[in-house]
Amino acid sequence: MAEIRLKNVSKRWHNFVGVDNFSLDIADREFLVLLGPSGCGKTTTMRMIAGLEDISEGEIWLGDRLVNKLEPKDRDISMVFQSYGLYPNMTVYENIRFPLRVRKVPKELHHEKVMQAAKMVELTDFLERRPAALSGGQRQRVALGRAIVRQPTAFLMDEPLSNLDAKLRVSTRAQIKNLQHTLKVTTIYVTHDQIEAMTLADRVVVMNKGVVQQVGTPTDIYDNPANTFVASFIGSPAMNLVNGNIAYGTFVAKGIEVKGLQKNVNGAVTLGFRAEDASLVSEGGQLGAEVYSMELLGEATMASFKIGDHLVSIKSGKEYRAEIGDTIHAKIPASICHLFDAQTGGRLARVAAN
Amino acid sequence: MTPSARKQPLPLAIISTGFVILWVVLAAFPFIWTVWGSFKVEQDFFSRDTFWDAIYGVRTIAQTGSAFTSDGYYGAWITRDFLSSVINTLIVTVSVVVISLTFGTLGGYALARSGHRYTFWILMAALVFRAMPHITLVSGYLLPFFEMNIWGYLPTAIIVLVAINQPFTLWMLHSFFLSIPKDLDESAMVDGCSRFQAFRLVVIPVMWPGVITTGLFSFLLAYNDFATTAMLLSQPNQTMVPKIASFLGTVQQEGNVMFAVAAVVSATAPLFVLVMFFQRQIVSGLTAGAVKG
Repeated sequence: MAEIRLKNVSKRWHNFVGVDNFSLDIADREFLVLLGPSGCGKTTTMRMIAGLEDISEGEIWLGDRLVNKLEPKDRDISMVFQSYGLYPNMTVYENIRFPLRVRKVPKELHHEKVMQAAKMVELTDFLERRPAALSGGQRQRVALGRAIVRQPTAFLMDEPLSNLDAKLRVSTRAQIKNLQHTLKVTTIYVTHDQIEAMTLADRVVVMNKGVVQQVGTPTDIYDNPANTFVASFIGSPAMNLVNGNIAYGTFVAKGIEVKGLQKNVNGAVTLGFRAEDASLVSEGGQLGAEVYSMELLGEATMASFKIGDHLVSIKSGKEYRAEIGDTIHAKIPASICHLFDAQTGGRLARVAAN
Repeated sequence: MTPSARKQPLPLAIISTGFVILWVVLAAFPFIWTVWGSFKVEQDFFSRDTFWDAIYGVRTIAQTGSAFTSDGYYGAWITRDFLSSVINTLIVTVSVVVISLTFGTLGGYALARSGHRYTFWILMAALVFRAMPHITLVSGYLLPFFEMNIWGYLPTAIIVLVAINQPFTLWMLHSFFLSIPKDLDESAMVDGCSRFQAFRLVVIPVMWPGVITTGLFSFLLAYNDFATTAMLLSQPNQTMVPKIASFLGTVQQEGNVMFAVAAVVSATAPLFVLVMFFQRQIVSGLTAGAVKG
């Protein structure tokens, strides 16, 4: 049980930068999620913490130990792999027991600990089976059980749910959240699925191309994205982004005009707003365009419009109906809008009370 | 095959069955003929009149009073001391297999897991040495072996055979190790193993079919080798294959062909037992190559 500190950690292969200058303090018992598209360096970061990848630059501290030069076995962590990494020649019982065996835990404690872990991941009925005779979800639970059989400093989980079907993913996700709460162990969880990140995390680190984009609570990241990358990565659907121009507090793009925005910026900007914050109206409003497509989601209806190159989606009530090609208006009040720099994509801070 | 599962038209069934039978007979005939002939006398088995002599054993009956004789076996095993070459073969093959597999598993694993680019060139070099005729190694080293006074001894032959065999075992085991997911060693290392422990406790148990298949090929190479053992071993240290060759005789010395025939049959029998015994591992090692987790 300890905090994990990363100081200016970088990873390079020849001239390719995998992770660039990553600094972060992870609190004891925190559930931290590393989120990003594939190839963004999130898994590399985790593997450096685990000791499976050399660190090109920087320091990693587990508690008060500098672990840069330590072998994975000496770092006192446990890890769940995307492909589970179960030992095919051993039974479920032996798989879960393996860490105890190689770490020379006194033999008389083994059975109790294995049974305890197996109970937590609900595998007591399958202990004599081999991994090959288990379903994907059960294999995943064996990997979890093997990770929790001893009390490590930290859990590392590398996309543990990505090989499961959608339904199983939801229940296993809840199980992981609950396990972490019960065991109170610092957890780092890597995923490319923003819903997993939102539901599990105490804090989320959004990464892209090896660079940290934003660190914050799920609410923070959802409500105040630091740049257009985060805005377009988080949320389902992602935030609507429209390129246009702003002058004297009025944003203008083809088919859309929003008044009452901040007056401190002029010129090319990107306007962002969430689909559920805007609403469809029959007359007036800030947006007027032909419907590009209508999607029924069950609990809501999604209308989308083509504004320039961008697809803009707006959520409406479940009874709302319109035909493709109808001209519809939408209300996009200035209060729900976010402005981003058109060049850098960085967020333009709102000026307080204007 | 259940009768209803696959219905073939009758002519096709006859033709294909006939073809298989023909093939089996053609493939097995030389060996069966040798086994049969090993119990005859030379004048029957190598009769100049008719090959029916070999089947009926006319002269065998005339000389020994029975249609079958074990004279060939008696001559090879008792008179010419075939047993000592069997023991020599045993020493050579076991040593070659053990040494090749030790270096092969360690090296193959290292090459499979190393991220460095020079592994490719090591494997390419191994391929070149593999393609080289065996006699090259022997002829090049024959003089140094004489000068160092190590010619004729079993360890010398073992070292040369390992050198011939190692590139192949490296290649084969390398590709077996590649088929084992890296996650397996990595999760073992996170679970508390050192690199070597992960190799010993996790990777090797999964690798058994591969190790056994490679071991069998190494065994066959050492067992069947003629070029190296014939050139490098002195008379008392000879293994089976050069010994059999010596039964055939030389220009100076008259041989006894029937001793050779009996010895050949004796030398082949263990191979059958071996293949039968490891059949399942060999098949899974040859076909699968991959180990599913």
